[in-house]
Amino acid sequence: MKEIDARGLACPEPVLRTKVILQESDTQNIQVVVDNGASQQNVQRFLESQGFQTQLEQKGTDFVIIGTSNGTFVESVPVITRSEQECSKIMVMCAADTMGSGDDELGRKLMVNCIRTLKEMGDDLWQLIFVNGGVKLTIDESDVLEDLKQLEQAGLTILVCGTCLDHFNLLEKKQVGVTTNMLDIVTAMQLSDKVITL
Amino acid sequence: MSPGDLDKALCGLVFPTDENVLVGLDRADDAGVYQISEELALIQTVDFFTPIVDDPYWFGQIAAANALSDVYAMGGVPKTAMNLVAFPAKEMELTVLRQIIQGGIDKLKEAGVVLLGGHSIEDREIKYGLSVTGIVHPDKILTKGNIRIGDCLVLTKPLGFGIINTAVKAAMVSTELTEKVTKLMATLNREAAEIMVNFDISGCTDITGFGLLGHLAEMVCGSGVGARIDFGEVPVIEKALDFADMGMIPTVAYENREFRREMITIADTVPRAVQDVLFDPQTSGGLLIAVSGADAGNLMAALHGVGIHESAIIGVVVEEPAERIMVA
Repeated sequence: MKEIDARGLACPEPVLRTKVILQESDTQNIQVVVDNGASQQNVQRFLESQGFQTQLEQKGTDFVIIGTSNGTFVESVPVITRSEQECSKIMVMCAADTMGSGDDELGRKLMVNCIRTLKEMGDDLWQLIFVNGGVKLTIDESDVLEDLKQLEQAGLTILVCGTCLDHFNLLEKKQVGVTTNMLDIVTAMQLSDKVITL
Repeated sequence: MSPGDLDKALCGLVFPTDENVLVGLDRADDAGVYQISEELALIQTVDFFTPIVDDPYWFGQIAAANALSDVYAMGGVPKTAMNLVAFPAKEMELTVLRQIIQGGIDKLKEAGVVLLGGHSIEDREIKYGLSVTGIVHPDKILTKGNIRIGDCLVLTKPLGFGIINTAVKAAMVSTELTEKVTKLMATLNREAAEIMVNFDISGCTDITGFGLLGHLAEMVCGSGVGARIDFGEVPVIEKALDFADMGMIPTVAYENREFRREMITIADTVPRAVQDVLFDPQTSGGLLIAVSGADAGNLMAALHGVGIHESAIIGVVVEEPAERIMVA
C-alpha cells in the first residue's frame, strides 16, 4: 500500500502527487489523505479514471481515499502525442535566417532557396523547427511564408520557438507554425531519426 | 473570493447612494452605472488577479480583456482605464512587468481605450488588472435584472478555461491547446457586444469566476424568472471534459456548485464532467446574452458571420419554477 499525505496542498497538487506515484510504481493499493472536499473529489475522480475503485473515510476534518485496482487497466494519463510515421523521421532545425557565413545577403538567398527545396525530402521530412534568428522566417515579411504554409497544410509539423519570438518582439507577427518551448524541441530531437541544423 | 465568503463579509453593510446611481451595490451586476445627464451614464468596473498563464505579455492581454468585458456586458463602450499593479520588484526582472503592461496597453489599444494612469505596490506575488470606465446611454443599459420569459440564452465563448488552466499546471496540456485557450481568454468581447445591441436583447453578463450557472443564477434571481439549459448545446473547449474526469477541477468550481446548490437542478443524464464545466470559473469568459426567441436566429447568424463560431443558443428563460435553473 502506497500512502500519500496531501494535506495542506492546493489543487491540482494532490492529484499530481497521486499521478506521480502511479507512474513510478505498479501499485494496486493506494491511500491518499487530503484536508478539503475539492481535493477529495478530484483525487477520487483521478483514481477512478485510472481504473481504481475508491473508498472514502472521513477522519476529523481530513478525508482518507483508499484506491484499489485489479491491475488490468491500461494507462490513460494523456501524454502529448505526435504523429508517428513509418518512414525515417528527419527534423530540420533552422537556427538563423541566413545559411552559412561569408555574406549575409547571399546567406539569406540561400536560406530561402533551401526552405523551398526542403519538400524534396518527401515524407521523410518530419518536423521543421525555427529557433533564434530563424523565427524571422515565419513572420509576415518572410519570403518563404507561403512555402511554409504549404508545407504545414501538407501535414508537416512546424514548431517556432516562443522565447525567440518574444526576444525579437515577433510573437504577434508569427504567421505559420505552432509556438513551442525548449522541452518540446528537445523531445522532438530525441524522437527524430536525424537532426539537420541549417 | 468565493461567492459565499463575499456574501458573508458584506452582509448587513450599508453603502451610501444617491439618485443618480442607476446600477449600484443593491443587486449583483457586472459594473456600476452612474447617470451624468439625460443622454449619458458612466460605467465603472475594476478587476485584477494573479497570473493565469506563464507568458507575461499574454497575461497582460488577458487581464485587460477581462477588465474591459464588464463594460461590454453592460451594453457600454469602454473609454479610459487605470492600471493596478502588484509586483516583486526586488526579486524579479523588471522586464517581466514591462511585458505585462505592454500586453495590457496593446489590448486597450485594440479596444480603442486610453490608459490614464495607475497605481503600483511592491508585493511578493504578481497581480495585475485594470479599472475601466465606459459610457452608455441611460436607456440602453443591459443589467442582469430584466431578462424576459421566452428569451433564448446565447453564450459567445466555449467553457472550460479553469479546468484547462488547472491541467496546464499539471503539464497535461499540449502546446497547441494551451495556445488556443490563451488566445480565447485574450479575445475581447467587443465584437460580440457591438453585434448584440442590434437585436432584441433584454440582458447580458460576462462569464467569469462564478461559472456559467453562477452568473446565470444572478440573472434569473434578479429578473424573477427561471431558466432551462440544454447541456448538449453548451460549447466546451476540446479535452476539458477529459481533464475534468481526471480530477483537474479548480477548487472554485466546487465552491460555485455548493453556493448555488439549492437553486439548480441537474438531471441524472448530465455527465459529471459536463456538470463541472457548467460551474468552472472562467477568466475573461464569453458573454451570456438574453435575446428574444424571434431574434435569436438572427443574432446567431450575425455572430457566426463575423467568426464567433463557437457561440451557441444554450437554453431558454422560463416562468416557472422561478429563481431556479434546470439543466437537462
